[in-house]
Amino acid sequence: MKQHVPPVDQIERILQGNKAHARRTLEADPEFFKGYADKQRPGVLWIGCADSRVPETTISDSKPGEIFVHRNIANVVNTDEVGANSVLDFAVGNVKVQKIVVCGHTNCGGAAAALGDANLGPNLNKWIEPLRELRKSHQGELDKLKTDYLRGLRVVELNVQRSVKNVKANATVQQAMKGRGLTVHGFVYDIPTGELRALDTAE
Amino acid sequence: MDSPTIQPIPRYLQQSHERIFENNRKWVASKREADPAFFEKLSAGQTPEYLYIGCSDSRVPANEIMGLDAGEVFVHRNIANLVPNTDLNVMSVINYAVRHLHVKHIVVCGHYNCGGVKAALTPADMGILNPWLRNIRDVYRLHEKELDGIEDKDAKYNRLIELNTIESCRNIMKTAAVQQSYQKNQYPIVHGWVFDLHDGLLKDLKFDFEETLEGIMKIYQLE
Repeated sequence: MKQHVPPVDQIERILQGNKAHARRTLEADPEFFKGYADKQRPGVLWIGCADSRVPETTISDSKPGEIFVHRNIANVVNTDEVGANSVLDFAVGNVKVQKIVVCGHTNCGGAAAALGDANLGPNLNKWIEPLRELRKSHQGELDKLKTDYLRGLRVVELNVQRSVKNVKANATVQQAMKGRGLTVHGFVYDIPTGELRALDTAE
Repeated sequence: MDSPTIQPIPRYLQQSHERIFENNRKWVASKREADPAFFEKLSAGQTPEYLYIGCSDSRVPANEIMGLDAGEVFVHRNIANLVPNTDLNVMSVINYAVRHLHVKHIVVCGHYNCGGVKAALTPADMGILNPWLRNIRDVYRLHEKELDGIEDKDAKYNRLIELNTIESCRNIMKTAAVQQSYQKNQYPIVHGWVFDLHDGLLKDLKFDFEETLEGIMKIYQLE
C-alpha cells in the first residue's frame, strides 16, 4: 500500500500545469484559441489503453484537436457494448474522422492478467474475458514462447486484431469504409523504446 | 481489404498516417535526450496518482491540458465524459484505477461546446447513441427547474455541461471501490472540472467532496 500523500499539492500542480499550457500555447500561436471552440476536425479516432504510459497525443507528438479519443482497459472493443460503439458512431458519423487506430501496448496489465485465471472481481473478470478467450484459443502458439513478456505481447497483438475486426463490424464504420474511404489500423506501442509499430490487420 | 468499392486512400491521408510515426520518432528522440533512462523507468510499471475521465473530443487531450507527462495519469475518455452506473467499460476503469493502482485523485473533466451534450439537447434519433445520450437527458430532468429557469440558450447549455460533469462525479462516488478505499485510506478524492476551449483553462467546479459523499452514502452506501 502506498503512503497517503497530502492531496492538495497534487491538484494544485495540475491547475498550475494547465495555466502554463494555456500560456505556452498562446505564446506559440496567439491566434490558437480563435475559432477553436467552434468545431473540431480531427483526422483520427484513437482507441487505446487507459494505461498512463500511453498518452496518444503525447506519444504521437500531435496537437490538440488532431485526435478523437476513446481509452479503456486493454483497448477492448466489443460489438455489443454501448460505450465504445457510441464513440465509433459519433466519431465516424458525426465528426467524420478519416482513420481509426486501435493501439495496444507492451507491458499491458490487462494482457498479463489474461495469461492466468486469477479472480479480479466480477467487473474486471468480465471485461478481460475476451483476452482470456484469445489466450485459450492460442494456447499452443503461446506455449512455444519463452517468457510471459512475450506471451503477454502476443495476447496484446491478438487483442488489437480482435478489436479492429469488431470496429469493422460497426454499421456506421462499414458505411464510411465503402462510401468515403475510411480505413482502420492496428498499432502496438513499445514502452521500452517509446516507438509505435503498425500491425498487419488486413483480412 | 481489397474490395473494389473502397476508394483509393487520398495521398494527404496516407501522409497523415505516416506523420504519426514520424512525430513519434521525434518525440522518442527528444525524451531520450532529456532523460536517457526515461523509457526504462516506464517499463518498470505505472504508478499514476490520477485517474482522468474526460470527453473523447479531440480538443481536450488529457495530458496536454494538465501539463502531465507519460506515466502520470490513467485515462478514460468517452462521449461526454459519462459514468453510467451499468457501463462495464467505465466501471472496469474505475475499479482497476482504485483497487489496483491506488490513485489518489479522480478527475472528471467536462468541457464547454461539448458536441455530446449538444446532441442530447437536440430532438433527433441518433441510433445507438440514443441510450448513451439519454443519460444526459436524465441529468436535465434531475435539474429541470434550474435549467428551465435559464433563458439564454448558451448559458443553459453551459450549465448542463457543468451539471453533467458533477453527475459523473456522483456516480463515481456510488461505486463500492471508491467508498471502500476512501473509508480505509481517505482517498481517492473526486474532482469535477470543466475545460474552456476559448482560453485553454480548467475551471474547478469546487463541489465539496466530503459533503457530497456523505449525502450519497445516505442511500448508496455499499461498504
